Amino acid sequence: MENNLLVGLSRQMALQREMDVIANNIANVATAGYKADGNVFEQYIDPVARSDRFAAPDQHLSFVLDRASWHDMSPGPLQATGNPLDVAIDGNAFLAVQTPNGERYTRNGALQINAQGTLVTGEGYAVLGEGGPITFQQGDRDIVVNREGTITVREGNNIPEAQRGKLRLVSFAQPGQLRKDGSSLFAAPAGMAPQADTTASVVQGAIEKSNVSAVTQMTRMIEVTRSYTHVAGLLQQQSDLRRTAIERLADVPA
Amino acid sequence: MRALHTAATGMMAQELNVQVIANNMANMRTTGYKRQRAEFQDLLYQQMRRGGTQTSTQGNILPAGLELGAGVKTVGTPRIMSQGNLLPTEKDLDVAIRGEGFFRILLPDGRTAYTRDGSFEMDAQGRLTTAQGNVVQPGITFPQNAHDIQINVQGQVYATVGTETNPTLLGQIELSMFVNKAGLQAIGDNLYLETPASGPPQNGTPNTDGYGDLQQGNLEQANVEPVKEISDLIAAQRAYEMNSKVISACNEMLSATANLTR
Repeated sequence: MENNLLVGLSRQMALQREMDVIANNIANVATAGYKADGNVFEQYIDPVARSDRFAAPDQHLSFVLDRASWHDMSPGPLQATGNPLDVAIDGNAFLAVQTPNGERYTRNGALQINAQGTLVTGEGYAVLGEGGPITFQQGDRDIVVNREGTITVREGNNIPEAQRGKLRLVSFAQPGQLRKDGSSLFAAPAGMAPQADTTASVVQGAIEKSNVSAVTQMTRMIEVTRSYTHVAGLLQQQSDLRRTAIERLADVPA
Repeated sequence: MRALHTAATGMMAQELNVQVIANNMANMRTTGYKRQRAEFQDLLYQQMRRGGTQTSTQGNILPAGLELGAGVKTVGTPRIMSQGNLLPTEKDLDVAIRGEGFFRILLPDGRTAYTRDGSFEMDAQGRLTTAQGNVVQPGITFPQNAHDIQINVQGQVYATVGTETNPTLLGQIELSMFVNKAGLQAIGDNLYLETPASGPPQNGTPNTDGYGDLQQGNLEQANVEPVKEISDLIAAQRAYEMNSKVISACNEMLSATANLTR
């Protein structure tokens, strides 16, 4: 059995997966509200290729298995934009968003207003307030979002402020288990209910940038490339060894 | 190798980002220009192992799934419709809007366009037009011998005609407002068109209901902030470089694989 080839192959496949994850992180280095991913590897011990009968027993064979990927839920840096419809969340909460596939959650606070006056994400999904979607009226101006997420506007030339709703902030007991759904959205797996968040606060006129640390990703990338080349070298040596063995052993003496 | 294509989406996104920044910088001194911003979102994810699935009949579940993302996409380049600074010009046909509204302009093909650029002129027939010669709606015509043009904050246009001592009211400039100003379609020449995203225009007189008041002898400058654009440019360039490094790393890995078979 040429197990060493297969062990090397399992490592290379895991490294390719890790490279995929790093590439996705780096591609999203400028995506607002993006949370970095990481990979978890596991040693997988093959029980079949073992025998204790020899004087020197077989070693355990361990293959690499990429078991899971995880999300780094640490907050990203805040970039001040001065745009009244940009909100960042200071804390662990998410904004609730209504999509055709159900409720989703996001940290990307680059919000907009659509033709109906509803507050939406960049994709056009309605952002949920505590009483459903938040709708503005024609002529609303000077939009102010306070730290609790309450949205107030000035109607026309009137000085008194009118309230348009309150952003629904939710948090999860284990945010790491949220599933990424693309478009800066997270989906809650079955059995994970969002809880109303009271500790987080909203910062208006700022956007949470991606929390990808460029330096870390670059070093990981170099590490992956080097390990990959290294394993390829090992496989090469193994192949050479086998070739020499075949040549020598099968050599019929003249 | 998936990473190769993922990094390519990253490079494409940053290229578009630089393009948007370049356009903002080029229009730094354009009257009434509103800056754009490229917005990105992560692309779809492939679930290699779904989190929460059972790993044994004892009810053990996978705490975290294995998700591989496919890169980044540009979701839009919305305009930031904030108020620009007013620049005094002392020209009597320069009008700046301080507030939410847009001037209404009749295009030669009969369509109506909207603009924040109030650097108006008078054509040979005495009509109030834009610098391109398109007529401002509703039309205002100045008599041959009109002088000392006054436009007040409510948009009423007065001029003294001939030897009269009292100014005559010649017309009223109207403004239009949209629910979603950022959804207007820019067609160049500082003009915007109505779209389904912007919603229909609502017309009204300046200085009422939030339409904004008019400031004669002023022009609204672009709302581009050079410092912000430059720092965004640096970030975009570095992000582009990093993505290109991923591509060369993938290349190195692939060549290691290719060299296995000698």
